[in-house]
Amino acid sequence: MSPLSRRQLLGLGLGASAAAVLAGCATPGTTSVNTLPTVPPASGKVRLEYWAWLKGIDRVTELYNRTQDRVHVEAVFIPGGNAGGYQKLYSALAAGAGPDIAQVELRSLPEFLLANGVVDLSRYGVDQYEELYDPTLWNQVSYTGGVYAIPQDSGPMGMFYQPAVLDQVGAAVPATWEEWAEVGAELKGAGVLMDSFPLADASPFAAYATQAGASWFTAEDDGWVIDMTDDATLGVAAFFDRAIDDGIVTTAYGAYTPAWFSAAADGRIASVATGSWGDALIEGVSGAAGRWRVAPLPTWGTGYASSFLGGSTAAVLANSEHPAEALDFAVWMTTTEEGVNALIEFCGIGWSPARDVVGTLREQPSAFFSGQNYAQEVFVPAVQESSQNQDWSWWPVTQQSFNILSDGFRGKASGGTLVDAVVQAEKDIVAVMRNKGLSIRKAGA
Amino acid sequence: MSASSGATRRAPWVLLAPFLALFLLTFLVPIGMALVSSFTKVTRGGLFGEAGVVAEFAGLDNYAQVVGDPNFVASIGRMFLFGIVQVPVMLILCTVLALLLESASAKWPGAFRAAYFLPYGVPGVIATILWSFLYVPGLSPLIDVAEVVGASPDFLGADTVLWSIANIVTWSYTGYNMLIVIAQLKSIPVELYEAAKVDGASPLRVATSIQLPLIRPALLLTAVFSIIGTLQLFAEAQVLQRVAPAIDSQYTPNLSAYTTAFAYNDYNVAAAQSVLIALVAFTLSIVFLTVTNRKSA
Repeated sequence: MSPLSRRQLLGLGLGASAAAVLAGCATPGTTSVNTLPTVPPASGKVRLEYWAWLKGIDRVTELYNRTQDRVHVEAVFIPGGNAGGYQKLYSALAAGAGPDIAQVELRSLPEFLLANGVVDLSRYGVDQYEELYDPTLWNQVSYTGGVYAIPQDSGPMGMFYQPAVLDQVGAAVPATWEEWAEVGAELKGAGVLMDSFPLADASPFAAYATQAGASWFTAEDDGWVIDMTDDATLGVAAFFDRAIDDGIVTTAYGAYTPAWFSAAADGRIASVATGSWGDALIEGVSGAAGRWRVAPLPTWGTGYASSFLGGSTAAVLANSEHPAEALDFAVWMTTTEEGVNALIEFCGIGWSPARDVVGTLREQPSAFFSGQNYAQEVFVPAVQESSQNQDWSWWPVTQQSFNILSDGFRGKASGGTLVDAVVQAEKDIVAVMRNKGLSIRKAGA
Repeated sequence: MSASSGATRRAPWVLLAPFLALFLLTFLVPIGMALVSSFTKVTRGGLFGEAGVVAEFAGLDNYAQVVGDPNFVASIGRMFLFGIVQVPVMLILCTVLALLLESASAKWPGAFRAAYFLPYGVPGVIATILWSFLYVPGLSPLIDVAEVVGASPDFLGADTVLWSIANIVTWSYTGYNMLIVIAQLKSIPVELYEAAKVDGASPLRVATSIQLPLIRPALLLTAVFSIIGTLQLFAEAQVLQRVAPAIDSQYTPNLSAYTTAFAYNDYNVAAAQSVLIALVAFTLSIVFLTVTNRKSA
């Protein structure tokens, strides 16, 4: 063989790199797994990987593995959602790899749909399990006639409060947001904050708007319909504009930040409206045992008794070789007494997604919350179908929309208003959707 | 042609092959892919792209979208402001420290050099976590002390958090830049100092007339590194985001590209952002070097 000349070598190198560039430049997520034939259940041994950020999830999979002789589920810990977990999942999907099952928040599921990252479980017979699940949550995993994940945990909202702090001003627990503002004004006189309002995180705002009856996105046959400037949403925005202006809530920090824990421990903040998962976090406030109770979320004049804040799913990802087995595991984990109890005990999930399985721990009073049986008193009623907005649907650019909203909310610190931020955000979100090639129109237009 | 001369000709390429392969795979190919990606656009039909996904050549669409994004442009402007203040402060500080440690009357220069260099050994993420404990109200002893004298500093406010980041960066990198300057100082021939002594020059005079002009190349080098580093600011802002609501998802250009790629899953626009960041860094470095060279000519 004649030695390669320098020119030939160079040519080879360039050719190879050009080929690599061309092979690699197909933008990830442009083919759909849901148009390919379904994968039949395997007959031999199956090893599933489950990426989640729930602490102690490995102990839940361990329980499952003990009941199985053929399927083995391996739990892999990833950072929570946008703190790095999704980044990992998206890169894995882009590389044609990734786990069989992944924890994906309810609100992020449509983004994984857009990236062709999740398997339509209705092709694997998921419909038979529908009646086992909370109908509100089932709505939020169902899109365009398919079911794209199994609800795994949720967070019906309630109001955690410190009775001793409210007693300082002789206030009763507010049942409506108007009363909430009145109590807040009295507390302000005593130098105490009612709650915090995070400018940097739009999800509580979205939850309040949901509670008030808003429905920002609707999937129609001709595309998405956006309606963020309805009376419910703008009413909530104006309400919190006033609450911030009056100094009833602080915007300097959000709930469960170090500054918040410090204020909560000193009794400088009276309450926090939050998901049911807040219980575990409040137990982390120093010296808090016996000093907190839970009440239903205050209500708006319109809308619903509660709302969901947070909540996640177990989604079967596009590159899974065993979707049927992955589905079986997800259903076991979220609907059996054994699975739900393990999720509560080991992972501290906010609320069980199963209609009929609340979890043994949640059927008893809590010693930490002064013997209050808050799970049964507050959260069981809060998850009833009539207590939740059934029209709410997430959309394919939720994270970006929330960032746009919170970027606008930050303007509150320099003289802007939440109302203006919402109006502007609606326009920006329409542009983002159009940039992705999705069709969207304003409601009523 | 004899076999041995063929082998001789081949040898450098064989020896270079490991480097070339890595250079190609980890440097040229990714850059090429980013460029191609930045000129591609993906459009989807239906609600989620179920009616078809098309990837096509987009021309400058992605770049137009990036330049038209006021938050991204603002992030670059923010880094300009940051660099104009932080880089000179850091360079002055590191030069002063280097001159002091290299002066004849310095005591335990080795120990101080190590102490000043130490923060560089702390990874940026850890440094930011450490500093955040000094910034967060309710935890920070600094704020507690300030409140005793009646002040209530807000290190994480919309107007101040940039300078809180600048403080972390300065703390981290001053010692490192100081070492570069010291290395240059050590290369100054002893004869120059002796001549200055004979002429009766004061230590200040020695610094201004001999040391400063001769460490110019080191200062230029550190300045260019710092300019590029400023545009690439990422970890400090991302970590501080958790405690500082004022830091948004597009606070720095790199944070913006990261968010676009991995939170919005839009690799094409992220690629355009990355290419623009590289171009700005490249242009700034060239402009800086041209201006400083012209002055010296």
